[in-house]
Amino acid sequence: MAFKQGLFKTSVGRKNLMAITGLFIAFFLIIHLVGNLILILPNSFFPVEFWGNVANQHDMYNAYSHFLVHFWPITLVAWVLYLAIAVHILDALLITLNNWKTRGEKYEVTDNSTSTWISRNMGILGSIIGIFIVIHMGQFWLQYKVLGTEHDLYNLVVATFKQEWVIILYEIGIITLGFHLVHGIESAHRSLGIYPKKVMHIIKYIALCFGIAMAFLYAIIPLIIYFK
Amino acid sequence: MKLTLKIWRQDSAKTKGKLETYNLSDVSEDMSFLEMLDMLNEELATKGERVVEFDHDCREGICGQCSLVINGQAHGHESHYTTCQTHMRSFKDGETIFIEPFRAKAFPVIRDLKVDRSSMDRIIQAGGYISAFTGMAPEANSIPIHHNIAESAFDSAACIGCGACIATCKNSSAALFMSAKVAHLAKLPQGQVERLERVAWMVNAHDDEGFGSCTNTGACAMVCPQEVQLLDITRMNYEYNRSLCVTN
Repeated sequence: MAFKQGLFKTSVGRKNLMAITGLFIAFFLIIHLVGNLILILPNSFFPVEFWGNVANQHDMYNAYSHFLVHFWPITLVAWVLYLAIAVHILDALLITLNNWKTRGEKYEVTDNSTSTWISRNMGILGSIIGIFIVIHMGQFWLQYKVLGTEHDLYNLVVATFKQEWVIILYEIGIITLGFHLVHGIESAHRSLGIYPKKVMHIIKYIALCFGIAMAFLYAIIPLIIYFK
Repeated sequence: MKLTLKIWRQDSAKTKGKLETYNLSDVSEDMSFLEMLDMLNEELATKGERVVEFDHDCREGICGQCSLVINGQAHGHESHYTTCQTHMRSFKDGETIFIEPFRAKAFPVIRDLKVDRSSMDRIIQAGGYISAFTGMAPEANSIPIHHNIAESAFDSAACIGCGACIATCKNSSAALFMSAKVAHLAKLPQGQVERLERVAWMVNAHDDEGFGSCTNTGACAMVCPQEVQLLDITRMNYEYNRSLCVTN
């Protein structure tokens, strides 16, 4: 018997692809966060005797950004990341459009108490994050890496986060991301069929903690820079 | 009890349907939900109107034939009950009750509250079976199986195929229904013969019938009358990925 298999073709396959790309992006979030925590470390963290030539936050952050842009293995991983984001979005569109087709006539009355708002609205949350990513990359990635118009990334970051509308925009984007992660991390494990009962029982709480931790740590960076 | 019923009336899959309002008095709170509908139908028949058509069979919660979305929830608001086991005592006097059919593209309306759920049968036909010798039933003890595994397989096998999971799912996904069978047979020694192919066959039939992708909202397991676990969907996904990784 001939049958379709593979990542793009079946309902289960498409969800697998969502899970793999989603988890990869979630992993990137940790790396991205660790690097950017340099921005909120106190200056006493960068003594000359320990860091050598790089003796302050400004130089440390710029050295770190320079390294990210000019070390080729990182460029390679960055391309994998762009691809993962693109596939995650395309696959989401594919799944959503197909799921709209499978629905029957709308119910006159719906009772949504059986599931969480987050789990039903991953598409909306994802779209907000998508818009946020475009703005975020336009502000830093485009200017520093692509156009090369700005060479001092630290100054650019600090200047950007001194604007109120940027802070509000970032807080909205980051909190949305937190919500997206809370359902996404759990759902990804279910989609991939990571089955041990012990894992399944705690994965919900791991996803919750991960979502809150990421949202909190990312959210304080712009605030600290703004009020400093 | 006095009730206002808003019931979905539709002549066939080809015509448009709409909610009609009916007032019913002297409803006993000891009646089951279906008995209440019987009472309404008797009144309609006496008046010479066309009765409300709905699916039902055993009326004791085990056949999976009754359906109905009551006030927005498949099988009503009492968790893990079938419609036939829902009683009028769980409603308030004077309440307005919305009664709609199970809705999904794969569940075309036959008439009123009756829908065609044969798409689920075709998923089962695609792989929800085992190869076994014909003849006498073998000696039970000749197939060794751990008690816990037998119990767990039985929990999955408890699915009565009512389709409440699909009616509730915002994506009209039959993942819980399908996974109950995949998990049930994957856990048992008898299910090993077709284990690799079964899940791919069933997922294909599922997609061909026009059901959607599962997005793990968990609403299905909340309304399932047999309390089939969401874990079964995870098991099915595992079985699917295993079938991609392993060759017989």
